[in-house]
Amino acid sequence: MGKSTIIPFGPQHPVLPEPLHLDLVVEDETVIDCIPQIGFVHRGLEKLVETRDYNQFIYVAERICGICAMGHSLGYAETVESLMGVEVPRRAEYLRVIWHELSRIHSHLLWLGLAADAFGFESMFMHCWRLRERVLDIFEKTTGGRVILSVVRVGGVNRDIDDAMLREIVNVLDGIKDDYTKIMNTLLTDTSVKNRTVGVGFISKEAALDLSMVGPFSRASDVPYDVRSFGRGAYGELSDFQPVTDAQGDCFARVKVRCLEVLQSIEIIKELAAKVPAGDISVAVKGAPAEGAQASNVLEQPRGECYYYARGNGTKYLERMRMRTPTSQNLAGMATALKGCDLADVNMIVLTIDPCISCTER
Amino acid sequence: MPQFKQDFSPLSIEAIHEVAAARKSEGYRYVQTLAVNTEDGVDLVYSFMKDGALDNEVVSGVPRDAVIPSITDVFLEAFVFENEIHDLFGVHFEGIAIDFGGNFYHLSVKEPMTIISPEQKAARDKARKIAAAKAAKEAKAKKAAEQAGAQEAPAQAAEAATAAAAGAAEDAAAKEAELEAKLANMDPEKAAKVRAAMEAKAKKAAAAERKGE
Repeated sequence: MGKSTIIPFGPQHPVLPEPLHLDLVVEDETVIDCIPQIGFVHRGLEKLVETRDYNQFIYVAERICGICAMGHSLGYAETVESLMGVEVPRRAEYLRVIWHELSRIHSHLLWLGLAADAFGFESMFMHCWRLRERVLDIFEKTTGGRVILSVVRVGGVNRDIDDAMLREIVNVLDGIKDDYTKIMNTLLTDTSVKNRTVGVGFISKEAALDLSMVGPFSRASDVPYDVRSFGRGAYGELSDFQPVTDAQGDCFARVKVRCLEVLQSIEIIKELAAKVPAGDISVAVKGAPAEGAQASNVLEQPRGECYYYARGNGTKYLERMRMRTPTSQNLAGMATALKGCDLADVNMIVLTIDPCISCTER
Repeated sequence: MPQFKQDFSPLSIEAIHEVAAARKSEGYRYVQTLAVNTEDGVDLVYSFMKDGALDNEVVSGVPRDAVIPSITDVFLEAFVFENEIHDLFGVHFEGIAIDFGGNFYHLSVKEPMTIISPEQKAARDKARKIAAAKAAKEAKAKKAAEQAGAQEAPAQAAEAATAAAAGAAEDAAAKEAELEAKLANMDPEKAAKVRAAMEAKAKKAAAAERKGE
Protein backbone atom coordinates (compact mmCIF):
# COMPACT_ATOMS: atom_id res chain seq x y z
CA MET A 1 0.00 0.00 0.00
CA GLY A 2 1.33 3.39 -0.98
CA LYS A 3 0.38 6.58 0.77
CA SER A 4 -2.85 8.22 -0.27
CA THR A 5 -2.91 11.18 -2.64
CA ILE A 6 -5.76 13.46 -3.67
CA ILE A 7 -6.19 13.85 -7.41
CA PRO A 8 -8.52 16.60 -8.65
CA PHE A 9 -10.69 15.44 -11.56
CA GLY A 10 -12.50 18.14 -13.54
CA PRO A 11 -14.27 20.56 -13.81
CA GLN A 12 -12.41 20.76 -17.14
CA HIS A 13 -11.76 17.25 -18.38
CA PRO A 14 -11.95 15.73 -21.88
CA VAL A 15 -14.46 13.09 -20.83
CA LEU A 16 -16.83 15.46 -19.03
CA PRO A 17 -19.50 17.14 -21.13
CA GLU A 18 -20.30 19.43 -18.22
CA PRO A 19 -18.38 20.90 -15.27
CA LEU A 20 -18.25 18.40 -12.42
CA HIS A 21 -15.39 18.32 -9.96
CA LEU A 22 -14.26 15.19 -8.14
CA ASP A 23 -11.68 14.98 -5.40
CA LEU A 24 -10.34 11.45 -5.82
CA VAL A 25 -8.41 10.00 -2.90
CA VAL A 26 -6.14 7.38 -4.47
CA GLU A 27 -3.75 4.82 -3.11
CA ASP A 28 -1.44 3.60 -5.87
CA GLU A 29 -3.93 3.31 -8.76
CA THR A 30 -7.02 2.58 -6.68
CA VAL A 31 -9.63 5.18 -5.76
CA ILE A 32 -10.46 4.77 -2.09
CA ASP A 33 -12.73 7.79 -1.66
CA CYS A 34 -14.41 10.41 -3.76
CA ILE A 35 -16.01 13.76 -2.98
CA PRO A 36 -18.15 15.18 -5.78
CA GLN A 37 -18.57 18.90 -6.13
CA ILE A 38 -20.76 20.97 -8.40
CA GLY A 39 -21.52 24.69 -8.34
CA PHE A 40 -19.72 26.05 -11.40
CA VAL A 41 -22.76 26.79 -13.55
CA HIS A 42 -25.45 27.91 -11.10
CA ARG A 43 -27.63 30.43 -12.97
CA GLY A 44 -30.41 31.11 -10.46
CA LEU A 45 -33.22 30.09 -12.83
CA GLU A 46 -35.55 29.23 -9.93
CA LYS A 47 -35.35 32.86 -8.77
CA LEU A 48 -36.56 34.00 -12.20
CA VAL A 49 -40.03 32.64 -11.42
CA GLU A 50 -40.64 35.89 -9.51
CA THR A 51 -40.29 38.03 -12.63
CA ARG A 52 -41.98 35.79 -15.22
CA ASP A 53 -45.64 34.84 -14.97
CA TYR A 54 -46.60 31.17 -15.03
CA ASN A 55 -47.14 31.14 -18.81
CA GLN A 56 -43.82 32.84 -19.56
CA PHE A 57 -41.79 30.71 -17.17
CA ILE A 58 -42.25 27.61 -19.31
CA TYR A 59 -39.67 29.06 -21.71
CA VAL A 60 -37.22 29.47 -18.85
CA ALA A 61 -37.98 25.94 -17.59
CA GLU A 62 -37.09 24.33 -20.90
CA ARG A 63 -33.83 26.25 -21.09
CA ILE A 64 -32.58 24.64 -17.86
CA CYS A 65 -30.92 22.01 -20.02
CA GLY A 66 -30.79 21.49 -23.77
CA ILE A 67 -31.04 17.71 -23.68
CA CYS A 68 -33.91 17.56 -21.18
CA ALA A 69 -35.73 20.63 -22.60
CA MET A 70 -38.91 18.78 -23.51
CA GLY A 71 -39.02 16.97 -20.16
CA HIS A 72 -38.61 20.15 -18.11
CA SER A 73 -41.31 22.04 -20.00
CA LEU A 74 -43.63 19.04 -19.62
CA GLY A 75 -42.88 18.60 -15.91
CA TYR A 76 -43.36 22.30 -15.24
CA ALA A 77 -46.66 22.44 -17.17
CA GLU A 78 -48.00 19.35 -15.38
CA THR A 79 -47.13 20.83 -11.99
CA VAL A 80 -48.86 24.17 -12.70
CA GLU A 81 -51.87 22.31 -14.12
CA SER A 82 -52.04 20.25 -10.93
CA LEU A 83 -51.73 23.48 -8.90
CA MET A 84 -54.63 25.12 -10.75
CA GLY A 85 -56.75 22.00 -11.32
CA VAL A 86 -56.58 22.19 -15.12
CA GLU A 87 -57.70 19.17 -17.15
CA VAL A 88 -55.62 18.69 -20.30
CA PRO A 89 -57.30 17.38 -23.51
CA ARG A 90 -56.51 13.72 -24.28
CA ARG A 91 -54.98 14.51 -27.65
CA ALA A 92 -52.52 16.92 -26.01
CA GLU A 93 -51.48 14.20 -23.52
CA TYR A 94 -50.70 11.81 -26.37
CA LEU A 95 -48.72 14.40 -28.32
CA ARG A 96 -46.77 15.37 -25.20
CA VAL A 97 -45.75 11.76 -24.59
CA ILE A 98 -44.77 11.26 -28.24
CA TRP A 99 -42.45 14.28 -28.11
CA HIS A 100 -41.16 13.30 -24.69
CA GLU A 101 -40.26 9.78 -25.82
CA LEU A 102 -38.61 11.18 -28.96
CA SER A 103 -36.49 13.36 -26.70
CA ARG A 104 -35.57 10.29 -24.66
CA ILE A 105 -34.35 8.59 -27.85
CA HIS A 106 -32.29 11.64 -28.78
CA SER A 107 -30.87 11.94 -25.27
CA HIS A 108 -29.90 8.26 -25.06
CA LEU A 109 -28.33 8.33 -28.55
CA LEU A 110 -26.35 11.42 -27.62
CA TRP A 111 -25.17 9.72 -24.44
CA LEU A 112 -24.33 6.49 -26.27
CA GLY A 113 -22.19 8.46 -28.71
CA LEU A 114 -20.35 10.21 -25.89
CA ALA A 115 -19.82 6.92 -24.05
CA ALA A 116 -18.50 5.25 -27.21
CA ASP A 117 -16.16 8.20 -27.70
CA ALA A 118 -14.96 7.84 -24.10
CA PHE A 119 -13.85 4.26 -24.60
CA GLY A 120 -12.16 5.13 -27.84
CA PHE A 121 -14.84 3.93 -30.28
CA GLU A 122 -15.03 7.05 -32.41
CA SER A 123 -16.82 5.61 -35.43
CA MET A 124 -19.60 4.47 -33.07
CA PHE A 125 -19.87 8.06 -31.81
CA MET A 126 -20.42 9.22 -35.41
CA HIS A 127 -23.06 6.54 -36.06
CA CYS A 128 -25.04 7.32 -32.90
CA TRP A 129 -25.09 11.03 -33.63
CA ARG A 130 -26.06 10.35 -37.25
CA LEU A 131 -29.16 8.52 -36.01
CA ARG A 132 -29.87 11.24 -33.46
CA GLU A 133 -29.89 13.74 -36.31
CA ARG A 134 -32.92 11.97 -37.78
CA VAL A 135 -34.81 12.35 -34.50
CA LEU A 136 -33.89 16.06 -34.46
CA ASP A 137 -35.27 16.30 -38.02
CA ILE A 138 -38.62 14.98 -36.72
CA PHE A 139 -38.55 17.70 -34.06
CA GLU A 140 -37.80 20.33 -36.66
CA LYS A 141 -40.68 19.20 -38.87
CA THR A 142 -43.23 18.96 -36.06
CA THR A 143 -42.27 21.87 -33.81
CA GLY A 144 -39.90 24.13 -35.76
CA GLY A 145 -37.12 23.71 -33.18
CA ARG A 146 -34.41 21.08 -32.99
CA VAL A 147 -33.38 21.26 -29.34
CA ILE A 148 -35.60 23.84 -27.60
CA LEU A 149 -39.06 22.84 -28.82
CA SER A 150 -41.35 25.38 -27.03
CA VAL A 151 -44.29 23.15 -27.85
CA VAL A 152 -45.80 22.54 -24.42
CA ARG A 153 -47.98 25.18 -22.75
CA VAL A 154 -49.91 25.24 -19.51
CA GLY A 155 -53.19 23.61 -20.54
CA GLY A 156 -52.01 21.59 -23.56
CA VAL A 157 -49.64 21.90 -26.48
CA ASN A 158 -48.99 24.68 -28.99
CA ARG A 159 -48.84 22.60 -32.16
CA ASP A 160 -50.75 19.66 -33.54
CA ILE A 161 -49.28 16.69 -35.42
CA ASP A 162 -51.55 15.62 -38.29
CA ASP A 163 -52.14 11.98 -39.27
CA ALA A 164 -49.78 12.12 -42.27
CA MET A 165 -46.99 13.41 -40.03
CA LEU A 166 -47.70 10.72 -37.42
CA ARG A 167 -47.33 8.07 -40.15
CA GLU A 168 -44.10 9.69 -41.28
CA ILE A 169 -42.75 9.66 -37.71
CA VAL A 170 -43.49 5.93 -37.47
CA ASN A 171 -41.76 5.32 -40.83
CA VAL A 172 -38.68 7.29 -39.79
CA LEU A 173 -38.56 5.42 -36.47
CA ASP A 174 -38.77 2.07 -38.31
CA GLY A 175 -35.75 3.16 -40.36
CA ILE A 176 -33.90 4.30 -37.24
CA LYS A 177 -34.74 1.02 -35.51
CA ASP A 178 -33.09 -1.08 -38.23
CA ASP A 179 -29.89 0.97 -38.18
CA TYR A 180 -29.93 1.25 -34.42
CA THR A 181 -30.32 -2.49 -33.82
CA LYS A 182 -27.14 -3.08 -35.85
CA ILE A 183 -25.23 -0.48 -33.82
CA MET A 184 -26.60 -1.80 -30.53
CA ASN A 185 -25.68 -5.40 -31.34
CA THR A 186 -22.15 -4.34 -32.22
CA LEU A 187 -21.84 -2.34 -29.02
CA LEU A 188 -23.19 -5.02 -26.72
CA THR A 189 -21.12 -7.86 -28.20
CA ASP A 190 -17.84 -6.06 -28.84
CA THR A 191 -14.95 -7.40 -26.75
CA SER A 192 -13.21 -4.05 -26.34
CA VAL A 193 -16.43 -2.51 -24.98
CA LYS A 194 -16.86 -5.40 -22.55
CA ASN A 195 -13.24 -5.09 -21.43
CA ARG A 196 -13.86 -1.51 -20.39
CA THR A 197 -17.29 -1.95 -18.81
CA VAL A 198 -18.01 -5.44 -17.44
CA GLY A 199 -17.55 -5.57 -13.66
CA VAL A 200 -16.60 -1.88 -13.46
CA GLY A 201 -18.36 0.47 -11.01
CA PHE A 202 -20.58 -2.17 -9.44
CA ILE A 203 -23.58 -1.05 -7.37
CA SER A 204 -25.69 -3.68 -5.63
CA LYS A 205 -29.47 -3.56 -5.53
CA GLU A 206 -29.35 -2.91 -1.76
CA ALA A 207 -27.00 0.06 -2.23
CA ALA A 208 -29.16 1.41 -5.06
CA LEU A 209 -32.25 1.30 -2.84
CA ASP A 210 -30.33 2.65 0.13
CA LEU A 211 -29.07 5.66 -1.84
CA SER A 212 -32.50 6.28 -3.47
CA MET A 213 -30.91 6.20 -6.91
CA VAL A 214 -33.12 6.95 -9.91
CA GLY A 215 -33.31 6.33 -13.64
CA PRO A 216 -31.30 3.90 -15.77
CA PHE A 217 -28.56 4.04 -13.11
CA SER A 218 -30.85 2.33 -10.57
CA ARG A 219 -32.61 0.12 -13.13
CA ALA A 220 -29.21 -1.34 -14.07
CA SER A 221 -28.98 -2.47 -10.43
CA ASP A 222 -32.33 -4.28 -10.70
CA VAL A 223 -34.49 -1.59 -9.08
CA PRO A 224 -37.67 -1.60 -11.20
CA TYR A 225 -38.53 2.04 -10.48
CA ASP A 226 -39.80 4.06 -13.43
CA VAL A 227 -42.25 6.97 -13.07
CA ARG A 228 -43.82 6.00 -16.40
CA SER A 229 -45.17 2.82 -14.80
CA PHE A 230 -47.61 4.94 -12.70
CA GLY A 231 -49.55 5.20 -15.96
CA ARG A 232 -50.29 8.93 -15.83
CA GLY A 233 -51.21 10.89 -18.97
CA ALA A 234 -51.03 8.82 -22.13
CA TYR A 235 -48.74 6.24 -20.46
CA GLY A 236 -51.88 4.75 -18.93
CA GLU A 237 -53.07 3.81 -22.44
CA LEU A 238 -50.10 1.55 -23.15
CA SER A 239 -51.07 -2.11 -23.38
CA ASP A 240 -48.08 -3.15 -21.34
CA PHE A 241 -45.27 -1.19 -19.75
CA GLN A 242 -42.43 -2.89 -17.94
CA PRO A 243 -39.33 -0.91 -16.89
CA VAL A 244 -36.12 -2.17 -18.54
CA THR A 245 -33.94 -3.59 -15.77
CA ASP A 246 -30.71 -5.53 -15.50
CA ALA A 247 -29.34 -7.34 -12.47
CA GLN A 248 -25.65 -6.97 -13.28
CA GLY A 249 -25.20 -3.51 -11.65
CA ASP A 250 -22.00 -2.54 -13.51
CA CYS A 251 -21.14 -0.09 -16.31
CA PHE A 252 -22.08 -2.66 -18.95
CA ALA A 253 -25.55 -3.08 -17.42
CA ARG A 254 -26.06 0.69 -17.54
CA VAL A 255 -25.06 0.80 -21.21
CA LYS A 256 -27.41 -2.12 -21.91
CA VAL A 257 -30.40 -0.60 -20.06
CA ARG A 258 -30.09 2.67 -22.00
CA CYS A 259 -29.66 0.77 -25.28
CA LEU A 260 -32.85 -1.21 -24.68
CA GLU A 261 -34.76 1.87 -23.52
CA VAL A 262 -34.30 3.40 -26.97
CA LEU A 263 -36.11 0.41 -28.49
CA GLN A 264 -38.78 0.65 -25.78
CA SER A 265 -39.36 4.34 -26.55
CA ILE A 266 -39.71 3.56 -30.26
CA GLU A 267 -42.39 0.97 -29.43
CA ILE A 268 -44.22 3.42 -27.11
CA ILE A 269 -44.33 6.08 -29.84
CA LYS A 270 -45.52 3.59 -32.46
CA GLU A 271 -48.30 2.33 -30.19
CA LEU A 272 -49.48 5.81 -29.18
CA ALA A 273 -49.24 7.21 -32.72
CA ALA A 274 -51.80 4.61 -33.81
CA LYS A 275 -54.16 5.54 -30.96
CA VAL A 276 -54.04 9.37 -30.87
CA PRO A 277 -57.65 10.51 -30.26
CA ALA A 278 -59.19 13.42 -32.19
CA GLY A 279 -60.01 16.64 -30.37
CA ASP A 280 -58.60 19.89 -29.05
CA ILE A 281 -54.92 20.29 -28.32
CA SER A 282 -55.23 22.81 -25.51
CA VAL A 283 -57.65 24.47 -23.11
CA ALA A 284 -57.62 28.14 -22.14
CA VAL A 285 -56.19 28.59 -18.65
CA LYS A 286 -57.56 31.61 -16.78
CA GLY A 287 -56.99 33.04 -13.35
CA ALA A 288 -54.05 32.51 -11.05
CA PRO A 289 -52.95 29.85 -8.56
CA ALA A 290 -54.48 30.45 -5.12
CA GLU A 291 -52.35 31.90 -2.33
CA GLY A 292 -50.47 29.19 -0.46
CA ALA A 293 -51.59 26.45 -2.86
CA GLN A 294 -48.83 23.93 -3.45
CA ALA A 295 -48.33 21.02 -5.82
CA SER A 296 -45.63 18.43 -6.37
CA ASN A 297 -45.03 16.18 -9.33
CA VAL A 298 -42.59 13.58 -10.60
CA LEU A 299 -41.66 12.84 -14.20
CA GLU A 300 -39.37 10.26 -15.82
CA GLN A 301 -36.68 12.24 -17.62
CA PRO A 302 -34.13 10.42 -19.81
CA ARG A 303 -31.81 10.42 -16.76
CA GLY A 304 -34.44 9.37 -14.24
CA GLU A 305 -37.09 10.72 -11.92
CA CYS A 306 -37.32 14.50 -11.77
CA TYR A 307 -39.28 16.18 -8.97
CA TYR A 308 -41.17 19.47 -9.39
CA TYR A 309 -42.73 21.69 -6.76
CA ALA A 310 -44.75 24.87 -7.18
CA ARG A 311 -46.37 27.25 -4.72
CA GLY A 312 -48.79 30.02 -5.70
CA ASN A 313 -49.35 33.43 -4.09
CA GLY A 314 -52.69 34.49 -5.55
CA THR A 315 -51.14 36.29 -8.53
CA LYS A 316 -49.93 35.15 -11.95
CA TYR A 317 -46.40 34.96 -10.57
CA LEU A 318 -45.53 31.79 -8.67
CA GLU A 319 -44.12 32.16 -5.18
CA ARG A 320 -41.67 29.28 -5.70
CA MET A 321 -40.79 26.80 -8.41
CA ARG A 322 -38.38 24.02 -7.74
CA MET A 323 -36.92 21.25 -9.91
CA ARG A 324 -34.97 18.39 -8.34
CA THR A 325 -33.13 16.72 -11.17
CA PRO A 326 -32.10 13.06 -11.42
CA THR A 327 -28.38 13.80 -11.33
CA SER A 328 -28.46 15.49 -7.92
CA GLN A 329 -30.13 12.36 -6.58
CA ASN A 330 -27.48 10.15 -8.21
CA LEU A 331 -24.38 12.02 -7.00
CA ALA A 332 -24.14 9.97 -3.78
CA GLY A 333 -24.53 6.75 -5.81
CA MET A 334 -21.79 7.89 -8.17
CA ALA A 335 -19.40 8.54 -5.26
CA THR A 336 -20.18 5.05 -3.95
CA ALA A 337 -19.63 3.43 -7.35
CA LEU A 338 -16.24 5.14 -7.64
CA LYS A 339 -14.92 3.74 -4.36
CA GLY A 340 -12.53 0.89 -5.01
CA CYS A 341 -12.31 1.39 -8.77
CA ASP A 342 -9.19 1.80 -10.87
CA LEU A 343 -8.16 5.39 -11.60
CA ALA A 344 -8.40 4.66 -15.35
CA ASP A 345 -12.04 3.57 -14.95
CA VAL A 346 -13.20 6.80 -13.29
CA ASN A 347 -14.21 8.41 -16.59
CA MET A 348 -16.19 5.31 -17.62
CA ILE A 349 -18.12 5.23 -14.34
CA VAL A 350 -18.84 8.96 -14.34
CA LEU A 351 -20.09 8.78 -17.91
CA THR A 352 -22.37 5.76 -17.42
CA ILE A 353 -24.24 7.70 -14.73
CA ASP A 354 -24.96 10.24 -17.48
CA PRO A 355 -24.55 13.29 -15.24
CA CYS A 356 -26.30 16.48 -16.32
CA ILE A 357 -24.79 19.23 -14.23
CA SER A 358 -26.52 22.25 -15.74
CA CYS A 359 -29.86 20.59 -14.87
CA THR A 360 -28.67 19.91 -11.35
CA GLU A 361 -27.58 23.47 -10.62
CA ARG A 362 -30.24 25.35 -12.60
CA MET B 1 -49.59 -0.89 -11.17
CA PRO B 2 -49.02 1.64 -8.31
CA GLN B 3 -50.92 4.92 -8.59
CA PHE B 4 -49.29 8.30 -8.14
CA LYS B 5 -50.67 10.43 -5.34
CA GLN B 6 -49.27 13.44 -3.53
CA ASP B 7 -49.79 14.48 0.03
CA PHE B 8 -48.65 17.46 2.16
CA SER B 9 -48.40 17.19 5.94
CA PRO B 10 -46.89 19.47 8.63
CA LEU B 11 -43.67 18.62 10.47
CA SER B 12 -41.75 20.24 13.34
CA ILE B 13 -37.99 20.92 13.40
CA GLU B 14 -37.43 18.48 16.29
CA ALA B 15 -39.20 15.65 14.45
CA ILE B 16 -37.25 15.94 11.15
CA HIS B 17 -34.58 13.38 11.96
CA GLU B 18 -36.99 11.03 13.68
CA VAL B 19 -39.42 11.08 10.73
CA ALA B 20 -36.57 10.55 8.22
CA ALA B 21 -35.35 7.51 10.16
CA ALA B 22 -38.90 6.15 10.43
CA ARG B 23 -39.47 6.63 6.69
CA LYS B 24 -36.23 4.81 5.94
CA SER B 25 -37.22 1.83 8.09
CA GLU B 26 -40.65 1.76 6.43
CA GLY B 27 -38.94 1.35 3.05
CA TYR B 28 -39.52 4.83 1.67
CA ARG B 29 -37.21 6.37 -0.94
CA TYR B 30 -35.81 9.79 -0.17
CA VAL B 31 -36.87 12.20 -2.91
CA GLN B 32 -35.66 15.67 -2.01
CA THR B 33 -35.52 18.63 0.36
CA LEU B 34 -36.40 22.15 -0.76
CA ALA B 35 -36.75 25.55 0.84
CA VAL B 36 -39.23 28.37 0.25
CA ASN B 37 -38.44 31.90 1.42
CA THR B 38 -41.48 33.37 3.18
CA GLU B 39 -42.14 36.42 5.33
CA ASP B 40 -42.09 34.32 8.50
CA GLY B 41 -38.78 32.59 7.78
CA VAL B 42 -37.99 29.66 5.54
CA ASP B 43 -40.30 26.73 4.81
CA LEU B 44 -38.56 23.37 4.33
CA VAL B 45 -40.23 20.57 2.40
CA TYR B 46 -38.94 17.00 2.81
CA SER B 47 -40.25 14.47 0.28
CA PHE B 48 -40.31 10.69 0.51
CA MET B 49 -41.90 8.17 -1.79
CA LYS B 50 -43.16 4.62 -1.54
CA ASP B 51 -45.21 2.73 -4.15
CA GLY B 52 -46.15 5.92 -5.99
CA ALA B 53 -47.29 7.80 -2.86
CA LEU B 54 -45.32 11.05 -2.68
CA ASP B 55 -45.25 12.19 0.92
CA ASN B 56 -44.24 15.88 1.35
CA GLU B 57 -43.52 16.92 4.94
CA VAL B 58 -43.58 20.71 5.36
CA VAL B 59 -41.65 22.47 8.15
CA SER B 60 -43.19 25.96 8.18
CA GLY B 61 -41.53 29.21 9.25
CA VAL B 62 -38.03 28.07 10.21
CA PRO B 63 -36.37 31.11 11.90
CA ARG B 64 -33.14 32.42 10.31
CA ASP B 65 -31.00 31.49 13.31
CA ALA B 66 -32.40 27.95 13.76
CA VAL B 67 -30.12 24.91 13.53
CA ILE B 68 -31.64 22.05 11.55
CA PRO B 69 -30.49 18.48 12.21
CA SER B 70 -28.99 16.94 9.07
CA ILE B 71 -30.53 13.72 7.78
CA THR B 72 -27.41 12.68 5.83
CA ASP B 73 -26.63 9.96 8.37
CA VAL B 74 -29.91 8.31 7.30
CA PHE B 75 -30.03 9.38 3.65
CA LEU B 76 -26.51 10.23 2.41
CA GLU B 77 -27.89 11.61 -0.87
CA ALA B 78 -29.44 14.56 1.04
CA PHE B 79 -26.01 16.23 1.31
CA VAL B 80 -26.53 17.95 -2.06
CA PHE B 81 -29.78 19.58 -0.94
CA GLU B 82 -28.64 20.54 2.55
CA ASN B 83 -25.50 22.23 1.21
CA GLU B 84 -27.57 23.93 -1.48
CA ILE B 85 -30.16 25.25 1.00
CA HIS B 86 -27.36 26.47 3.25
CA ASP B 87 -25.75 28.43 0.41
CA LEU B 88 -28.91 29.79 -1.20
CA PHE B 89 -31.17 30.36 1.83
CA GLY B 90 -28.72 30.65 4.73
CA VAL B 91 -30.34 27.83 6.75
CA HIS B 92 -27.79 26.18 9.00
CA PHE B 93 -27.67 22.37 9.04
CA GLU B 94 -25.77 20.51 11.71
CA GLY B 95 -23.81 17.34 11.00
CA ILE B 96 -23.93 17.13 7.17
CA ALA B 97 -21.94 14.04 6.09
CA ILE B 98 -20.17 15.93 3.28
CA ASP B 99 -20.20 19.55 4.45
CA PHE B 100 -18.87 22.16 2.03
CA GLY B 101 -19.12 24.89 4.67
CA GLY B 102 -20.79 27.43 2.38
CA ASN B 103 -18.62 26.71 -0.67
CA PHE B 104 -20.99 24.41 -2.52
CA TYR B 105 -22.11 27.02 -5.04
CA HIS B 106 -19.85 29.77 -6.31
CA LEU B 107 -22.07 32.80 -5.80
CA SER B 108 -21.48 36.52 -6.26
CA VAL B 109 -24.27 37.40 -3.79
CA LYS B 110 -24.66 35.76 -0.39
CA GLU B 111 -27.87 33.78 0.17
CA PRO B 112 -29.47 35.01 -3.08
CA MET B 113 -32.81 33.25 -2.57
CA THR B 114 -33.58 35.26 0.59
CA ILE B 115 -33.49 38.57 -1.27
CA ILE B 116 -37.03 39.77 -1.82
CA SER B 117 -37.01 41.26 -5.30
CA PRO B 118 -39.17 44.33 -6.09
CA GLU B 119 -41.25 42.06 -8.34
CA GLN B 120 -41.89 39.60 -5.55
CA LYS B 121 -42.75 42.42 -3.16
CA ALA B 122 -45.19 43.81 -5.74
CA ALA B 123 -46.71 40.34 -6.19
CA ARG B 124 -47.19 39.95 -2.44
CA ASP B 125 -48.73 43.45 -2.16
CA LYS B 126 -51.05 42.61 -5.04
CA ALA B 127 -52.12 39.38 -3.35
CA ARG B 128 -52.85 41.33 -0.18
CA LYS B 129 -54.83 43.96 -2.10
CA ILE B 130 -56.89 41.32 -3.86
CA ALA B 131 -57.70 39.68 -0.54
CA ALA B 132 -58.60 43.09 0.99
CA ALA B 133 -60.82 44.01 -1.99
CA LYS B 134 -62.61 40.70 -1.71
CA ALA B 135 -63.18 41.17 2.03
CA ALA B 136 -64.41 44.75 1.51
CA LYS B 137 -66.79 43.61 -1.20
CA GLU B 138 -68.23 40.93 1.02
CA ALA B 139 -68.59 43.33 3.96
CA LYS B 140 -70.38 45.89 1.74
CA ALA B 141 -72.74 43.29 0.39
CA LYS B 142 -73.51 42.15 3.93
CA LYS B 143 -74.11 45.73 5.09
CA ALA B 144 -76.40 46.42 2.15
CA ALA B 145 -78.37 43.28 2.88
CA GLU B 146 -78.71 44.27 6.52
CA GLN B 147 -79.83 47.79 5.59
CA ALA B 148 -82.37 46.45 3.16
CA GLY B 149 -83.69 44.20 5.92
CA ALA B 150 -83.92 47.03 8.50
CA GLN B 151 -85.72 49.43 6.18
CA GLU B 152 -88.53 47.09 5.29
CA ALA B 153 -90.96 48.87 7.67
CA PRO B 154 -91.07 52.43 6.10
CA ALA B 155 -93.15 53.42 3.09
CA GLN B 156 -92.73 51.41 -0.11
CA ALA B 157 -91.50 54.31 -2.22
CA ALA B 158 -88.70 55.11 0.22
CA GLU B 159 -87.77 51.44 0.40
CA ALA B 160 -87.54 51.10 -3.36
CA ALA B 161 -85.34 54.20 -3.58
CA THR B 162 -82.96 52.95 -0.86
CA ALA B 163 -82.78 49.50 -2.39
CA ALA B 164 -81.99 50.99 -5.80
CA ALA B 165 -79.33 53.23 -4.30
CA ALA B 166 -77.86 50.36 -2.32
CA GLY B 167 -77.93 48.19 -5.45
CA ALA B 168 -76.20 50.87 -7.50
CA ALA B 169 -73.58 51.39 -4.79
CA GLU B 170 -73.06 47.66 -4.56
CA ASP B 171 -72.70 47.38 -8.35
CA ALA B 172 -70.15 50.19 -8.39
CA ALA B 173 -68.22 48.62 -5.51
CA ALA B 174 -68.25 45.21 -7.20
CA LYS B 175 -67.03 46.73 -10.47
CA GLU B 176 -64.28 48.60 -8.68
CA ALA B 177 -63.13 45.48 -6.82
CA GLU B 178 -63.17 43.47 -10.04
CA LEU B 179 -61.11 46.09 -11.84
CA GLU B 180 -58.67 46.24 -8.94
CA ALA B 181 -58.26 42.47 -9.04
CA LYS B 182 -57.66 42.59 -12.80
CA LEU B 183 -55.06 45.33 -12.39
CA ALA B 184 -53.37 43.41 -9.61
CA ASN B 185 -52.92 40.43 -11.94
CA MET B 186 -51.25 42.58 -14.59
CA ASP B 187 -47.64 43.52 -15.01
CA PRO B 188 -46.93 46.48 -12.61
CA GLU B 189 -45.89 48.78 -15.50
CA LYS B 190 -48.94 47.93 -17.55
CA ALA B 191 -51.21 48.39 -14.54
CA ALA B 192 -49.75 51.86 -13.93
CA LYS B 193 -50.42 52.78 -17.58
CA VAL B 194 -54.02 51.55 -17.38
CA ARG B 195 -54.56 53.51 -14.16
CA ALA B 196 -53.19 56.70 -15.75
CA ALA B 197 -55.44 56.22 -18.79
CA MET B 198 -58.47 55.71 -16.57
CA GLU B 199 -57.75 58.86 -14.57
CA ALA B 200 -57.39 60.87 -17.78
CA LYS B 201 -60.71 59.49 -18.99
CA ALA B 202 -62.45 60.38 -15.74
CA LYS B 203 -61.06 63.95 -15.91
CA LYS B 204 -62.27 64.31 -19.50
CA ALA B 205 -65.73 63.06 -18.57
CA ALA B 206 -65.91 65.49 -15.65
CA ALA B 207 -64.83 68.38 -17.92
CA ALA B 208 -67.44 67.44 -20.51
CA GLU B 209 -70.11 67.34 -17.81
CA ARG B 210 -69.15 70.80 -16.59
CA LYS B 211 -69.30 72.14 -20.16
CA GLY B 212 -72.69 70.58 -20.67
CA GLU B 213 -74.01 72.28 -17.54
